[in-house]
Amino acid sequence: MQTDVASGNIDGVGTTLKPFQFRGRFLTALALRLSTAPDARFYEMLADRLEKTPNFFTDAPVIIDLEQSQAAVTPEALTELVADLRRRELAVFGLQGGDEALRAAAAGLGLISVTGGRDAPLRGALPSSEQKRPQRVFQQERPPMPEAQPAPAPEPEPAPIPQRVAPENKIVTMPVRSGQTVIADKGDLTVVGPVSSGAELFAAGNIHVYGRMRGRAFAGIDGDENARIFCQSLDAELLAIAGLYRTSDSLGADVRHKMVQIYLEDERLIVAPFG
Amino acid sequence: MSKVIVVTSGKGGVGKTTSSAAISAGLASRGHRTVVIDFDVGLRNLDMIMGCERRVVFDFINVIQGDAKLNQALIRDRRLDNLYVLPTSQTRDKDALTQEGVEKVLNELREEFDYIICDSPAGIERGAQLAMYYADEAVVVTNPEVSSVRDSDRMLGLLSSKTARAERGEEDQIKSHLLLTRFDPKRSGDGEMMSVEDVLEILAIPLLGVIPESPAVLRASNVGVPVILNEKSRAATAYEEAVARLDGEDLPMKIEGEKVPGLMSRLFGRSA
Ligand SMILES: Nc1ncnc2c1ncn2[C@@H]1O[C@H](COP(=O)(O)OP(=O)(O)OP(=O)(O)O)[C@@H](O)[C@H]1O
Ligand SMILES: [Mg+2]
Repeated sequence: MQTDVASGNIDGVGTTLKPFQFRGRFLTALALRLSTAPDARFYEMLADRLEKTPNFFTDAPVIIDLEQSQAAVTPEALTELVADLRRRELAVFGLQGGDEALRAAAAGLGLISVTGGRDAPLRGALPSSEQKRPQRVFQQERPPMPEAQPAPAPEPEPAPIPQRVAPENKIVTMPVRSGQTVIADKGDLTVVGPVSSGAELFAAGNIHVYGRMRGRAFAGIDGDENARIFCQSLDAELLAIAGLYRTSDSLGADVRHKMVQIYLEDERLIVAPFG
Repeated sequence: MSKVIVVTSGKGGVGKTTSSAAISAGLASRGHRTVVIDFDVGLRNLDMIMGCERRVVFDFINVIQGDAKLNQALIRDRRLDNLYVLPTSQTRDKDALTQEGVEKVLNELREEFDYIICDSPAGIERGAQLAMYYADEAVVVTNPEVSSVRDSDRMLGLLSSKTARAERGEEDQIKSHLLLTRFDPKRSGDGEMMSVEDVLEILAIPLLGVIPESPAVLRASNVGVPVILNEKSRAATAYEEAVARLDGEDLPMKIEGEKVPGLMSRLFGRSA
């Protein structure tokens, strides 16, 4: 995702090779939104959440969002949190909110201060109760990150910043085996083939499985509560939509091995057989 | 054209080395120039099962490190003159294997042999990944129990992503075959162990054969003779048939205590 918002082409002719240009750059990041100061229980829950889907979080760009908790969080607590996240290989790079002392501490940790940005869900989701889920997708629209690139001949007009991003769906036509993870982080995920126990599927949108579904499925990972999971034959270990989940022992015999859809209704995960 | 075949499983002790010995002896008996390589650095079981442990002078690691020539390390089988063993070292650890070294040795062997059988160590670490990396085909050895099937599934995932063929994204990916070993029809019938059909349903790859649990396997390993070349036994016959299928023959499958259901017959003909 990249759009020109400013051009380094001063004379407007573009006959010379320019050594650099400024380009607008969108970047999807995770925002870890704190509702209280981090305590032992917070770290325990965080560790738990990160361990559930380790591949999803490794090297993920992260900003810490203190807009709701800046009064409760001390600079020392922020320092500890950043160290903890970095130990877990999350690429923490920014701080949203926070008073002067917190911003100073953040600067000392190499974090930039970000303002603005928009939280997901992007795709027509219901207004949601934010506090329940710490992870949201964050779209940074400013400041543009510079990027060195040889310029092609005449620059086009600066393009307008698109309002929404087209989904990028993913189709997998091989069995998804135990230990494998498939992520469609910008759209729907369709698997044509079996999904083994111990395999994990993630999608920002819906998940479809045409084959026996024995693994774990996480739909609406950015918080889209309208996302659904469709299974041709349900035998899943875990099903989750927008962070709400059910494990296999809570699935009744009436839906096992059935063709089903799974969706959220009043904050409850419904597993409904077809026909 | 030569073929590199890895014998792998994830889980330990399921019968990889027994199967590597039987398969290589079976292919050699069918007239193919065959070599079997021990990738289980530090343990060295293959040369014992092949009965050549007293003849080891140089090994795979010596060749990789340039201390010996390949033909100094290859041991010719006493019974079949087109069968060779490339033993491994018991004193080095698995870090002595390098990817470039493995590739070089395999390329050299491809010049001389029809079949190159790689006996993989257990686990999913480096040793197992190096054993599979350059393979053209895989024999996934599985016992009819949940943990073994789960590990085999995991291996199939690695075979389709962490191998040279997968990384090159070629049309012809690694062809994986299921070899179900230590199968006990009675315990499977009692539901104590999984049925052939259950295993096939989960792994969804073609079945090469079903080797029964048999005391003949231990007897053969005690005398250092591959099962297939020792006394006549049900395990030996089952291995012979599996080898024939691996060699491209279209043999019907008969499994003690199981009727061949629709699903299985469908899977026999299917390619992975
Ligand atoms: N069909 C069989 N019937 C009875 N015993 C068997 C059979 N197949 C293998 N065994 C026994 O199981 C044990 C393990 O076999 P083997 O060494 O071939 O397994 P492996 O997968 O190579 O083990 P490792 O993971 O340690 O390399 C041996 O004692 C062998 O004799
Ligand atoms: Mg072995």
